[in-house]
Amino acid sequence: MQHQAPASRVIAPRPPSTVMKLARMGSFHQSRISFMRTLLRRLRSQDWTFSRPRFDIDDNGVGVAVYTAHGPERAYSLVAFANDLPPEKRSDRVIATEWDATFALYDGIPTDDDITRLSQNVPLQEAGRVSDRELSLSRANRSVRLWEHVVDALSRGQQPDAGKVRDVGYLMRTTAVYGSGKFGAADREQSDTREECRGPFQVEMLSVYLTRAFVMDLVEHMARLRSPGTAVPLDPALRRRFGIGNSTGLGMAPFLINHPVLLNHWICAREEALARVRSLPTASTEEAASFRNIAARARLHAEDWTSEHPLQIARLAELRADMAALETHLQAADITTDFPWNRLWTWAEDSCSLEGQEQIASLLMEPYGHLVDGLTSCMAADEHLSFRIDGAMPVAELRRITEDVYDWALDIDWDAREPNARVWYVSEEKLEPRLGERFEDPIEPYEQPLCPGRDAARMHIDLVRAPDGPVAAFLLGHPEHRHIARRAQIAARYEYAEIRDNTIGAAMLPIDLLRAKLSFFGACHFDPRSDRWVRINMFQHAPFPHELATGNVDDWTYPPLEDGPRPEAAS
Amino acid sequence: MSWSLNEIDSLARKATRGAGYSWGLAEEAGRATRWLCAMGLPGADCLAGVLAQTDGVAYDALCPDGSEGAWTASGGTLCPLITGAAICDNAATIADGREVVLQKTFYPLLLYPFVAVASDMTGTALSLSWGPCRLTRCEGISHLNAEAPALHDSCDSATIRCASDTPGTVVRRAWRGGISDEAQRILSALAHRTYAPDTPESRMAGAGAGLTDND
Repeated sequence: MQHQAPASRVIAPRPPSTVMKLARMGSFHQSRISFMRTLLRRLRSQDWTFSRPRFDIDDNGVGVAVYTAHGPERAYSLVAFANDLPPEKRSDRVIATEWDATFALYDGIPTDDDITRLSQNVPLQEAGRVSDRELSLSRANRSVRLWEHVVDALSRGQQPDAGKVRDVGYLMRTTAVYGSGKFGAADREQSDTREECRGPFQVEMLSVYLTRAFVMDLVEHMARLRSPGTAVPLDPALRRRFGIGNSTGLGMAPFLINHPVLLNHWICAREEALARVRSLPTASTEEAASFRNIAARARLHAEDWTSEHPLQIARLAELRADMAALETHLQAADITTDFPWNRLWTWAEDSCSLEGQEQIASLLMEPYGHLVDGLTSCMAADEHLSFRIDGAMPVAELRRITEDVYDWALDIDWDAREPNARVWYVSEEKLEPRLGERFEDPIEPYEQPLCPGRDAARMHIDLVRAPDGPVAAFLLGHPEHRHIARRAQIAARYEYAEIRDNTIGAAMLPIDLLRAKLSFFGACHFDPRSDRWVRINMFQHAPFPHELATGNVDDWTYPPLEDGPRPEAAS
Repeated sequence: MSWSLNEIDSLARKATRGAGYSWGLAEEAGRATRWLCAMGLPGADCLAGVLAQTDGVAYDALCPDGSEGAWTASGGTLCPLITGAAICDNAATIADGREVVLQKTFYPLLLYPFVAVASDMTGTALSLSWGPCRLTRCEGISHLNAEAPALHDSCDSATIRCASDTPGTVVRRAWRGGISDEAQRILSALAHRTYAPDTPESRMAGAGAGLTDND
């Protein structure tokens, strides 16, 4: 992808040596170009409508429901199976075999036969089989903390406690959303020429968005069944405070390494957006007010964000301090003249933690949809094209690229234990990616190619020794370097394709990889449960399908200011 | 059973790695197998046939040597994965008119995805032929002159050259693939070698969970 930078973009995007570091990527926040927001903007601008042709859930919470999204050309249906799950079977881990609810996103409107077929497979998840009529397969578990409280309160005619709602933020969390050909579902290439499916993860985001609607309907339904005479529905404003949770483990971590061109396009769009805003010579008073408002709301967002993980607790303290400092800074700062956003950005780099800096990067995009939103059309990738190796490239050129892209890795002693401490492997039992200790477990023979830095350093040793000639001859003699040679050539064309950090070091945190990806989805409230497992919240505060036509479709990600705009934000 | 192309790609990649190939070549095998399946041809069965022959064979015995004209393998038979990757890597010289003649080669159909990519990369029509079979790639479209070229388990000679015509019929795109039971058994067994056996410790530590989820 090559963005055509507007002539007015005088500030260059940040270099990959700055951006593509795990600690920074692990501090990314959602933004205007996140996939959830792209989805809702499209649903609104194309006047999508929604129906619930089926909702057959019994007193035990068991049954099936169908939610259909009707677009200008096609319809997509979430087929949801609700289950009465004994508590001892509830697990977010991929080793679970039963869930509170399971889902498939059907390509069209399912017949009764389709639903019967899906009912025999979707509840089994990986142990079942779906077809090319299905675009995704997923499941969700209840938040035990909140579910019973909400059912109980509503059934007694009361609203649930707002503090409890804020503490958890969702009634169910998805524990896997499988797309693109998994377990027999349709390959992405079967639908990616459709306008609504072209952007990354639009199918999966639609599935999750409809899942949230189903979960809220289900909790109200269960309250009604418990006490038909007294039950009330959720207050609409409180209802929007429920997102849909997600619990993600290591299975997702290798994705960004396995899809370098896609990663480039995502980062490139984000960095281009930031550079465009920083390049603005002036800002209007409306734009300045808009930024002050969103900064105040981001401060609330940081205050609402909780975690029990020591790492994230420390980072949240930094973020809250950064947001407070931003508010103080904005009281006196001129943010309308003399490249105001670039000056603000420089202030952030000098004054804020990585969490705060990356939050401000996202905030700077908020007032500038007309500069930023169009970049979402550049975030999909044809990975088949980039797969090809240029065998005619001279060995000297591949060496130069390696020294440029992987300079940080060539200085590392890869025979030492610490930088080479970890092994990515796939477990026999669940066929999922895992991370192990190279010098403690007998897993090295199973190592996956997820350590580009080390592999590049190894290739570099042979490149230095290789005679002049084409890469074709070098790779014929060194098939072990074929994987990393491909990556290096991709990284030479796409500067953000490669993470410029060690992905197998003893100090590496897989949650950094998870967060980078999930931030592009549009996730909030990252709550690590360990160094390789994270919970998030999605679509919190978003309008529901029935509210889309009239609701706030693109300004929902930060919580509303409780008492209206603060005085300093009302300028 | 109907397989998604991603499933086939993934199984092929893992099986090739399990048979001892490098990850880079395993990736090529995944893409090539997927490509053939997307042509409605039995790519996975071809791959299973190749890997059954080459499992445990040293790379050097399968690797093409073209120093004396026709490409040959010191072990007697060329591997279409290694040879195909080399064809792709030499796309520019082939498009410039260099004809490549291969001596005995396992499952020559598996060469075709590499020839097609070489054609697409260079914008030059290229053909692959052996015995009565010819496949031609021209302007991103594949042409096939035989009903079922698929399961020749080897050929004595194959030729890759610039093409001036496109005999046969245009191949229609398929969106799903098939794998015979026997090929699935072979590929799954090889893929299984890439999975690390679980231990009680790795079950807990490897995925990093272990906290209660009942909250």
